[in-house]
Amino acid sequence: MSRIGVFVCHCGENIARTVDVEKVAAEAARLPGVAYATDYKYMCSDPGQNLLKNAVAEHRLDGIVVAACSPRMHEKTFRNAAKSAGLNPFLCEMANIREHCSWVHEDRDEATAKASDIVAMMVARVKKDKRLVPITVPVTKRALVIGGGIAGIQAALDIADAGHQVVLVEREPSIGGHMAQLSETFPTLDCSQCIMTPKMVDAANHPNITLHTYSEIESVDGYIGNFQITVRKKARSVIEEKCTGCGVCSAKCPQKKIPNAFDKNLGTRPAIYVPFPQAVPNTPVIDRANCTWFKTGKCGVCQKVCGPGAIDYEQEDRLIVEPVGAIVVATGFELYSITEKPKGSPIKGYGEFGHGTIPDVIDGLTFERLASASGPTGGKILRPSDGREPKQVVFVQCVGSRAREKGISYCSKICCMYTAKHTMLYKHKVHDGQAYVFFMDARTPGKSYDEFWRRAIEEEEAVYIRGMVSRLYQKGDKIVVMGSDVHVGVQVEIEADLVVLATAVQPRAGADTLAQKLGISYDSYHFYSEAHAKLKPVECATAGIYLAGACQGPKDIPDTVSQASAAAAKVMTLFAKDELEREPIVAKVNEKNCVACLYCKKVCPYGAVEEKEIRDRQGNLIRVVAYVNPGVCGGCGTCQASCPSKSVELDGYTDEQIMAMIEAL
Amino acid sequence: MHAHKENHAFEPKIVAFVCTWCTYAGADLAGTARLQYPANTRVVKFPCTGRIDPVFILRAFQKGADGVLVSGCHPGDCHYMAGNFHARRRFAAFRALLDFIGVDLNRLQFSWVSAAEGGKWVEVATELTERVRAMGPMREFRELETEEQWSGAIDTPELQAAYEAIP
Amino acid sequence: MTNTAQTIDPALYAAVTDAIRAEAKKVLEAGAAAAVVGWQAGRRQGTAMPAIITDPAKVAELIFSPACVNNLALYLSKAKKEIRARGRIAIVVKGCDLKALVGLMGENQLKREDLHVIGVVCAGVQRAGAAKDIPLSEETIAGKCRECTVHTPEGADVTVGTLPDLPHFTPVESEELSRLEAMTPAQRWSFWKEHFARCIRCYACRQVCPFCYCEQCLCDRNRPQAVETTPRPAGNMAWHIVRAMHLAGRCAGCAECERVCPMDIPLNLLNRKMAKELKELYGHEAGFEVKEKGPLAQYREDDDQSFIK
Repeated sequence: MSRIGVFVCHCGENIARTVDVEKVAAEAARLPGVAYATDYKYMCSDPGQNLLKNAVAEHRLDGIVVAACSPRMHEKTFRNAAKSAGLNPFLCEMANIREHCSWVHEDRDEATAKASDIVAMMVARVKKDKRLVPITVPVTKRALVIGGGIAGIQAALDIADAGHQVVLVEREPSIGGHMAQLSETFPTLDCSQCIMTPKMVDAANHPNITLHTYSEIESVDGYIGNFQITVRKKARSVIEEKCTGCGVCSAKCPQKKIPNAFDKNLGTRPAIYVPFPQAVPNTPVIDRANCTWFKTGKCGVCQKVCGPGAIDYEQEDRLIVEPVGAIVVATGFELYSITEKPKGSPIKGYGEFGHGTIPDVIDGLTFERLASASGPTGGKILRPSDGREPKQVVFVQCVGSRAREKGISYCSKICCMYTAKHTMLYKHKVHDGQAYVFFMDARTPGKSYDEFWRRAIEEEEAVYIRGMVSRLYQKGDKIVVMGSDVHVGVQVEIEADLVVLATAVQPRAGADTLAQKLGISYDSYHFYSEAHAKLKPVECATAGIYLAGACQGPKDIPDTVSQASAAAAKVMTLFAKDELEREPIVAKVNEKNCVACLYCKKVCPYGAVEEKEIRDRQGNLIRVVAYVNPGVCGGCGTCQASCPSKSVELDGYTDEQIMAMIEAL
Repeated sequence: MHAHKENHAFEPKIVAFVCTWCTYAGADLAGTARLQYPANTRVVKFPCTGRIDPVFILRAFQKGADGVLVSGCHPGDCHYMAGNFHARRRFAAFRALLDFIGVDLNRLQFSWVSAAEGGKWVEVATELTERVRAMGPMREFRELETEEQWSGAIDTPELQAAYEAIP
Repeated sequence: MTNTAQTIDPALYAAVTDAIRAEAKKVLEAGAAAAVVGWQAGRRQGTAMPAIITDPAKVAELIFSPACVNNLALYLSKAKKEIRARGRIAIVVKGCDLKALVGLMGENQLKREDLHVIGVVCAGVQRAGAAKDIPLSEETIAGKCRECTVHTPEGADVTVGTLPDLPHFTPVESEELSRLEAMTPAQRWSFWKEHFARCIRCYACRQVCPFCYCEQCLCDRNRPQAVETTPRPAGNMAWHIVRAMHLAGRCAGCAECERVCPMDIPLNLLNRKMAKELKELYGHEAGFEVKEKGPLAQYREDDDQSFIK
């Protein structure tokens, strides 16, 4: 026979005003298995908690129901009180007679009757409660950072500086990401390369950081504290250990006409190349698709000229397994393209802007390369079509962004500021030039941001026209920009030499595939979803995985760096303990009854269910059963509802507990 | 402020199976906002709608519920990512089965109520209560509970004779 | 060409019988299978029963006739499970039986490579209680066979027989389903109440179902008791609802449950209804292709939710 204690709280007047708490306690006392029932003005107060603790000892209670507010409010409080009274905290339940009763009903009799019912249901439940102990899982104090842009580098450096090993994986041959492509940065106009490259070198030289460039995530297994990551190190055709980075191979490569993606295809590069002079690591890679040796089997110049003999045409992709305890995802963004999208894509292109066929209509990142001192024009603003200096430049904002009809409804956040910056950079380089900006509204919330934008207009004489651009077309060597000025209420036509589009910030292509490997969720645009928009902005719903930078949503550099450090702090918090403790609300398999139909495995949102082989002493396979990894299990219970024989059961929400509540109706 | 309270001849028993993250929190919010609704619902909390076994719905009807409400997070908002998606299919199938057995589906309501939708919780709970109140008690399952009946009727002369022969 | 004779030519069954024997002999002699699960003649004239043959000399015992009603997939999922330990098993299946085998493969209970599947073209089998020694006709054919869409199994290792022209049969099961669907809920309730009230809870339906392979049935559990075990109306109703729900999206439609029911409860009607719903909702149909996930083990973000407020 159980010895349950029921404690009915008045919550001052909050409950007692509409619920006859004394009657509820009196009725509870008559329930089978209830050894003690009382009411008290404030159960959550110190005297209230002491009352509970004393009653546990005095009445030898083996279960507690506190009829008070929502368990979301005080379950922890009372479970801790139960624990300090020597009771397993999971034998303490709350009957919600405030939010679900006294506050929503006015009739005293009805509310009292309902409160008694709720208490009876919870008493029935608590009798079926089991003692549960928190689960501990060991933590591998080693982190994986996916993406070597500013977000990934910052997170990796912070974690490494805290004394933990970090594996940094970058898809491209060099780390640096988009920030390495930028010329100057808002709102200070300091040179992006000057602040970025030292960080890149720091990351590469850090004793705690293992760098895998030209590598991708092949697969992810395991769970918080215990991930197994398989990294595909793509064949570089250059032996990293031997290469000195002298650059002779690139200089001698006969194939030099390959468009350089780093320079947004404005310049060219050889088939064996580093993406940019400050690349880290400074180890070239052979672009096999364009290399004469790989296409025809002839040439081999790089191999002949390479002093250290670092060229290896036979090199193959390698798979490296890295055990880690936490993952920071920092895969960044790419820019929307105005070209026509493949059928089926929700994103539409811009036919009215010529679908990307007008050579002097470029995007913001291309302008960055033009303005960059290390760019293809050496920092001179020159038109891609004929290399002339443009005297009239039109900047168009919100191309793709905030355009539901184009398939993207969100704001890309960074364009207002970088366009203002572009007008300044342009004015600094072309003194007699004129910049026009078509904009919907300027969004400048950030330290010194509005001042910066005002400066573009007031000091650098950029002409801001509030309105949209309806059409762009080539006329002779000019581009006609047709738009509207909604302030004046007229149509505007400008004959521009160059048009720069602030195209939308989108997640990297393949972001969804990576998310599926990681088991993290993403929104309809494929931006990764944080666990809570406000209170858990860097955590994923999947434990042990954290987000940094634009992969989670459009972000500027300061925000990205902040988030990266925040993600790093979360990783360090996880690594501060040798073992991880978590609530024991997890599913368990009854191996005696399980027939391994694996419905549980099929529905598990966490991939927590594995097949387990049961063998006899000789090692012969007897049968297979399901096994729920308690470290991975999220505790939703979908497996149990799907299991035909109920051979998997969610602790804390067992069929017995639920059925007891239903029976008590 | 006190609304006129009507006296009803029949007060239905409504059982609400809700997930803890969205609908339970939504119902809490209705309380915090002091919204009023009929006192007929009894809430059973689950971690997720994915945990709700159709057997529970059946059991609730058998144990005297006149109406059953099942409510969870909106699609895409599931705390466990996909629990409510699985639940949605399961309930669609179960609902069809109950309908085919002859249960009036007006007694069974499914809804998505988020943690922010205290008002929607009130609306859903009130609507179901009023609808079921108008329908009257759920007699079908209750009658079955009280029936003690040998399987098969004594409908042949031979069986009748055998039955009579029992001393 | 439709058959005007209104009966099914028994020649098919004789031809299939020969082919089964030849194939069984071949696989047993070659060691390609340790045993053949098929049918043999029953003790009474015109009946058949399951057979497990391991000796190539005894293959002549195997038969195929309209009396070969049993879904032999059962013999691999739970009954006679021990024969699977012998190694690769050959099994004779009709189209409907093969769907059950395929379902079991999708549920991790069988592996295709462990089986040698002998598919038989089937024109139909007898309904329970029909006269045994006449060609199949409207009178004697099983309800499920009247509207069979899987006369010829696909994906078997070997398929034997050629389908003769078949008479047109009234689709009684679909008609009955439509009749019930057209009723009011109250009418349906009394229909099922009457049927379920007769249930004696012998669990023959569970015993014969290839998919009821759980070690412990939920309905036998008593902590907690989800379904009352005594054959009272309340428990009977719960049992049949739970049974139908557990088979939803899995049932292959072999209708063995209905055949073995001693109280003649139209159980396949429930199975058919659930199959129909899952086809309409999610496009799912039990078929010859192994599906990794059944319709209730997966979802689409845009699944119908018109019933959810």
